[in-house]
Amino acid sequence: MWLPIMGLIIGVIIGLLTDITIPEEYSNYLSIAILAALDTLFGGIRAQLQNIYDEKVFVSGFFFNIVLAASLAFLGVHLGVDLYLAAVFAFGVRLFQNIAVIRRILLTKWSTTSEK
Amino acid sequence: MGRPTNLSFSIIAAIIGLMVAIQFQTVREPEVRDTRDTWQLREDLMKEKELQSKLLLEIRSNEEKVAKYETERQQSKEEVLRETLTELKDEAGLTEVTGPGLTLSIAPAFNLVVDGDNPPSISPDMLKRLLNELNMYGAQHVSIDDERVINTTVIRDINRVTKINGHSLNRFPIEIKVIAENAEAAEKLYNRMKVSTVAEDFFIDNLEVKVNRPENELIIPAYQDTIRIRYMEPVKKDKGGGS
Repeated sequence: MWLPIMGLIIGVIIGLLTDITIPEEYSNYLSIAILAALDTLFGGIRAQLQNIYDEKVFVSGFFFNIVLAASLAFLGVHLGVDLYLAAVFAFGVRLFQNIAVIRRILLTKWSTTSEK
Repeated sequence: MGRPTNLSFSIIAAIIGLMVAIQFQTVREPEVRDTRDTWQLREDLMKEKELQSKLLLEIRSNEEKVAKYETERQQSKEEVLRETLTELKDEAGLTEVTGPGLTLSIAPAFNLVVDGDNPPSISPDMLKRLLNELNMYGAQHVSIDDERVINTTVIRDINRVTKINGHSLNRFPIEIKVIAENAEAAEKLYNRMKVSTVAEDFFIDNLEVKVNRPENELIIPAYQDTIRIRYMEPVKKDKGGGS
């Protein structure tokens, strides 16, 4: 349970220490990629809790979602339509749903353990 | 949670962390807000102005230094010597010269050549005469067939071929380039050469002298060999000035 959190912290530390910055015009793509990654992560956690977790689906979904979101944003920039909003909307909705599901599952688990 | 599950979760979490950190660093940049008030701004402006004036002073002093060095260099003996050297080189014919002048071309007059005669050749005496005439009428730099004529130039007959500085003059037309002091002098020279009797003297040798109109930009090449001075040596200082 603590290993993923450790991984997150290590990633943040590495990112802050190496002082990497990307050009301003690409920060849009990175933000959409972060959103996709977070969505996948929470989806993974939910699947884990529902015991339908499949590692292949999780890992492939992670990379595929990132690439898809970034390319959608890229296409949007070139078409002059804010297509990245579609990705933001989809991922945002899914994120909220996933977090809600996780919350409920955790709540039921917690209440069952406290009843015992 | 099994171990491999945990591992892939962790790796992906690390990647997300990295991305978040990078995004954070990229977006964070305009973080410092300017909250100075008028007086602080004024003070800062004063500081910058002072710095500017200081820098200007520095620039000025450096420029002064440069100018000083420049004048020193110009007034130095070295520069004078160098100038003298270039002047002397110009005078001696060791440099390429450009200026207003005219060209003369000497070609065989074929309507005068009888079949069976030897092909016409230019005699050194005639050439010297022509040169004297040119010099008399204000020529400053002369080249014959692209051979610069200088004070020590020899024009003579070697094995029945007229040579100038060792360069054979057996290909016609021979072009003589003359540079005068200015365009006016060139015009004068042209007129004088037109009426000169030298052309008639060349006619005797079956040669035709054509005087071309003056040009404004004539290039005369430099003397190509080194000038050897054999019988001159510098006056020794301590011995001179005895009288």
